Amino acid sequence: MTGRRASLMVTCLGDLFFPHVGVAIVRVLRRLGVAVDVPADQTCCGLPLFNSGYHAEAAAVARRTAALFRDSEHVVVPSGSCAWMVKHEYPGLLAGAGLAREAEDLAARTHEFSQFLVRVLGVTEFSSTVPGRVTYHDSCHLLRGLHESESPRTLLGKLRGAELVPLTGADECCGFGGSFAVRLPEVSSQILAKKVANVEATGAACLVACDAGCLMQMGGGLTRNRSKVRAVHLAELLGGER
Amino acid sequence: MSTKAEFLARIREQVRRAPARFAAETARRPQHPAAEAESIRRELAERWPETLDAFRREFEGVAGVFHRVASIDMVPDAVTSIARERDARGLVTWHAAALGADLVPALGARGLDVHQMPAAEPTDGSERERLRSIAARVDLGLTGVDLAVAETGTLVLVSGAGRPRSTSLLPPCHIAVFDRTALLESLRQVGVFLEAWHADPASARGGAINFITGPSRTADIELTLTRGVHGPKEVHAIFVDQPFRG
Amino acid sequence: MSTGDLGTPFRQRAGGAMQDAFLQEALTIATTKFIGLRREAFAGFPDGESLRDQARAIKEATLQQLDRHLETLIANVERLGGRVHYAATPAEARAIIVDIARASGARMAVKSKSMATEEIHLNEALEAAGITPIETDLGEYIIQLAHERPSHIIAPAIHKTKGQVAELFTRELKRPAEPDPEALTRIARVELREKFLQADIGITGANFAVADTGTIVLVTNEGNGRMVTSLPRVHVAVMGVEKVVPSMSDLMVFLAILAKSATGQKLSVYTSLVQGPRRGGELEGPEEFHLVLLDGGRIAQIDGPLREALSCLRCGACLNVCPVYRQIGGHAYGYTYPGPIGILLTAMMEGTEAVRDLAHASSLCGACLEACPVRIDIPRMLIELRREVDDRKIAPWPERVVFALLARLLQRPRLYRLAARAGRLVQRPFVASGRIGRVPLFFGEWTRTRDLPAVAARTFQERWATDRELRG
Repeated sequence: MTGRRASLMVTCLGDLFFPHVGVAIVRVLRRLGVAVDVPADQTCCGLPLFNSGYHAEAAAVARRTAALFRDSEHVVVPSGSCAWMVKHEYPGLLAGAGLAREAEDLAARTHEFSQFLVRVLGVTEFSSTVPGRVTYHDSCHLLRGLHESESPRTLLGKLRGAELVPLTGADECCGFGGSFAVRLPEVSSQILAKKVANVEATGAACLVACDAGCLMQMGGGLTRNRSKVRAVHLAELLGGER
Repeated sequence: MSTKAEFLARIREQVRRAPARFAAETARRPQHPAAEAESIRRELAERWPETLDAFRREFEGVAGVFHRVASIDMVPDAVTSIARERDARGLVTWHAAALGADLVPALGARGLDVHQMPAAEPTDGSERERLRSIAARVDLGLTGVDLAVAETGTLVLVSGAGRPRSTSLLPPCHIAVFDRTALLESLRQVGVFLEAWHADPASARGGAINFITGPSRTADIELTLTRGVHGPKEVHAIFVDQPFRG
Repeated sequence: MSTGDLGTPFRQRAGGAMQDAFLQEALTIATTKFIGLRREAFAGFPDGESLRDQARAIKEATLQQLDRHLETLIANVERLGGRVHYAATPAEARAIIVDIARASGARMAVKSKSMATEEIHLNEALEAAGITPIETDLGEYIIQLAHERPSHIIAPAIHKTKGQVAELFTRELKRPAEPDPEALTRIARVELREKFLQADIGITGANFAVADTGTIVLVTNEGNGRMVTSLPRVHVAVMGVEKVVPSMSDLMVFLAILAKSATGQKLSVYTSLVQGPRRGGELEGPEEFHLVLLDGGRIAQIDGPLREALSCLRCGACLNVCPVYRQIGGHAYGYTYPGPIGILLTAMMEGTEAVRDLAHASSLCGACLEACPVRIDIPRMLIELRREVDDRKIAPWPERVVFALLARLLQRPRLYRLAARAGRLVQRPFVASGRIGRVPLFFGEWTRTRDLPAVAARTFQERWATDRELRG
């Protein structure tokens, strides 16, 4: 791994609410010999604007975000949805500004965290920071946008000290959906309630996901229900601080 | 009210303006459908036993009842035993010419009340009405089969003279008789036959081709599967080993 | 409670549906069952994925020459002795059908299940003209007796219990009925059999129309489609212009995936290919055949943002997998077509204003795209609709202000950092062990049922800027 360089795109939710996830990612990567940098002045990938239909605004945000990572060898993203935004929507959004090629190039260098470990670095063996039973929720953008269900499961399945148990309806949405969660809070909450019930039924100590949005939604539902299950990002289990 | 000209002009204008979203093609069509149909038949003449097994499996999977007899002479007994089991006497049947065999005397001799549908169109409306009301009253409908599709367990019936649509529809018990010449393996092959039939201007088909895949069913009340809501509650397929269709 | 009343905002209609305990149970059971059946059907069908790609390509290829294929269809229907009519709007379609019915002296019309006739609100028009419409699909029959609308494209009465159906039959048909699906189905069979034999006119939709042969294709499980096209003197088929496929070879591709997507069957029980009026020698079949081609907003989308939605087969697979549909059911959407595809079709038919709220009735989870047999990118078009709602300033102004501010903030890192600090100050009274419980105003919509994570004491970027050990 020595000689590899990766830039962390920490994302807005990762920066503001889940800084420990970014810290965990930095430590995991560095232990693997990857030189990590974090380009300054990051804000957000623009997905919230894009999904709500504010595309001119999303394009402006995308343009400056893309510029921050112009020289990165790899861009590692803790959330499947933000990685999907960069990989699938930036090229179209930036085509208008004549930056389609640069955006395609960035898309090819950008990886969701679990994919970076498994598919780029080829590393799958870790020991767990939290021993015990864990279960995994497929984030929609990672699963259906980036067609990834294996990498996180490979990592969790091989995690020393942890036992991966299946989650009923793992591939079903948690009800987050960005602004959807506050535009239709009753619907979002009912979807969440069913997810929480399925999570409780696994008997797992940790619910793992690879998306800060889902973690915000499911974590919020679990703590509100005084659940013993903790919602954690994959990186936290692979060695990081709490 | 819109006219044909302006309606189509609007479509034409839209089609002209719209860029193709991606390079796309329609399905490949047989260049010589009749010849291709013939070659499918020839190939299947070799491996019909496997096709029949597959048909039976699928047909039973959709709640069809499969029977097998050695020759067409044994069909009346098979039909009679189906009738006895449900205490039925009345039977409407496709015309002998459409069925490929005249079973009327043999069925009548076994005590069934047989109504054979006419080979030609009735000239007056009241006769039409009378025949329809018989089909609506009796318990059994006996038909031939134009294609039997192994992939899905489907019977394909083409309407026409002597082969009314109602025979396989109105009676609660439909009995279909077929031999190896009707067997096809796949829906794709059915497509070739449909193309071939339509390409043939001499084909004297009626206005309806029906694919029948098991008995009529519904699950509209609490998803509870219930059979025979409008069409037949039972579908029997009698396979005759010795080919009888011309 | 009527959840379909458009006078009530969508959010309340959805809320109402979620209060209905039976509906909730019925939705969970039905959608879960359909999801499983569909999965199994495709799991045992190795050609499924490539046939889906092919079906998608056939739809696109057909649209690229839709004018030509329709002209072929029209010529063939007319050659076979049928008549073709052209309806730009639902009102025109209604008037055409009422005229046909009147000209034939019809008193009663039997209908097989058709979303197109639901879309044009045909039954009301027939009734007003003194013609009794009878829905003959069992589910449709039930909701017609109950004066309701379908709540699912392929299972229109999933919101009703057998007890409710028994009460309905007892009251409306004056027949004592037990709450047993088998017995109820028998009653419907007897009632409707009589109607099939009496009716003067049969009205259907069309799942497909084959241009090359002038064939209308109807797919049903009950056999009512066959009854309606075989017994009455007149058959009227109503179809959107996008339903045409070029050839029988194309048709077989769609048949191979339609039922698998809808109910998990390899084929539905009956697939009826009907061609014009009855032929010489035939005992049954209509004397007259009419095909009504319907625009209803479709034509404008051939070159519009919703073009892909013209490929929809009406299988209902996207409804079953949609987390929103699974919570609220079909009525809450408020229009003929529910679920994710229904939002697009509603926009197509009623205009973008009609879906101002509905365009947001999706978490964009992508399950619909994955389930769609022809891979319609529904999430992308929902985002397009949201964009149109914003661009045309149909979105409410406070929302537009919020997003304009957000856009500024995300382009100015200093402002962003300032906002993080402000957030920490504002949240202080509400934070306990790193979480925010209940707060007022905007975030209250979140915190009523969920905790909100607090803005961290130090954001990641603040730590990165100062933490030597972290920077390595």
